[in-house]
Amino acid sequence: MYDLIIIGGGPAGVAAGIYGARKKIKTLIITDSFGGQSFVSAGIENWIGTKSISGFDFAKMLEEHLRAQEDIEIEGDDTATAVEKTGNGFLVTTKLGKKFETKYILITTGSQRRKLGVPGEKELNGRGVSYCSTCDAPLFKGKDVVVVGSGNAGLEAVIDLLPYAAKIYLMERSDKLKGDSVTQKKFIDNPKVQILTMAQTTAIEGKDFVTGIKYQDLKSGETKALIVGGVFVQIGAVPSSDLVKGLVETNPYGEIKVNHQNQQTSDPAIWGAGDVTDVLYKQNNISAGDAVKAVLNIDEQLRKK
Amino acid sequence: MSKVTIYTTPSCVYCRMAKEFFKKSGVEFVEHNVAGDDAARDEMIKKSRQLGVPVIDVGGEIFVGFDKEGLKKALDIR
Repeated sequence: MYDLIIIGGGPAGVAAGIYGARKKIKTLIITDSFGGQSFVSAGIENWIGTKSISGFDFAKMLEEHLRAQEDIEIEGDDTATAVEKTGNGFLVTTKLGKKFETKYILITTGSQRRKLGVPGEKELNGRGVSYCSTCDAPLFKGKDVVVVGSGNAGLEAVIDLLPYAAKIYLMERSDKLKGDSVTQKKFIDNPKVQILTMAQTTAIEGKDFVTGIKYQDLKSGETKALIVGGVFVQIGAVPSSDLVKGLVETNPYGEIKVNHQNQQTSDPAIWGAGDVTDVLYKQNNISAGDAVKAVLNIDEQLRKK
Repeated sequence: MSKVTIYTTPSCVYCRMAKEFFKKSGVEFVEHNVAGDDAARDEMIKKSRQLGVPVIDVGGEIFVGFDKEGLKKALDIR
């Protein structure tokens, strides 16, 4: 029987694991990977204390810090698939078929990429539709491509594609670009980049590979088409809260509602931290900090008993 | 052991993970960086019918992405 099981290995999960171990809480962390969504980032430049670090090295740094703790147990290469309430706590089942019992749970499962949900997206995934610009940008050398979504991830995708693509259309549904202006500046005057606002993607076309995209011009209502060889989808994320659906309250977006003072959910034995929660700002630094809050509160609860 | 070929791009983290996995497991492999090698890129697309990296060829069996469990099976790694 563990005191605490942490589910997820992003910045929140790792921060919680380190604090749990240092507080001598009997802790298990279940995760199949480290680093969270930033793992695929070419460079993280806002992790406090580090000027610039690649997502790959960021993940390694977190994992190494966690493994340096004396009393941490890690169920790696595995994921939690079910959480059930028992008489005195919870039973967590994993993909590898293992079962663990715990008094308390901290959910740090983060979020996953939002899909467009338009015809052609699924069929052409990996055949011109990509969700990882740092991975796949060089394969689109000399091609015209579309980046859908202009949050920071979308802007970074444009930058990843600049050295390779012939032309980049940046498509945004609202009337202006969303991400940081410091990132926009890196390409805003580049003639290769054409910005299309008020543009809603309606279909991705192609047989073996992507050959085009259709979108509705929300200003005129007209449906328009572009001939492109690649579509990079960067339209935000959906919280990975399915695991505890029915156990804790979520908001209409599927985010787990937490008390922002101590990260407790509607179930007093479950805490949440990071992007899976209804925290207003989804940031690595905030996720780590919120997870620390959660563990300190869990430690207090354990001492009360 | 089957011949292993991996098609990569320099900034692809899943490619790096796959290569580290091979090194840790003592698997020898040939790497083609498709960002700078158009012939290798075309070969990769022909083999996989995919426009995404990594593509890994284990003795003719094609893996798209870093499928650790699948690779373990194909390479008989425990």
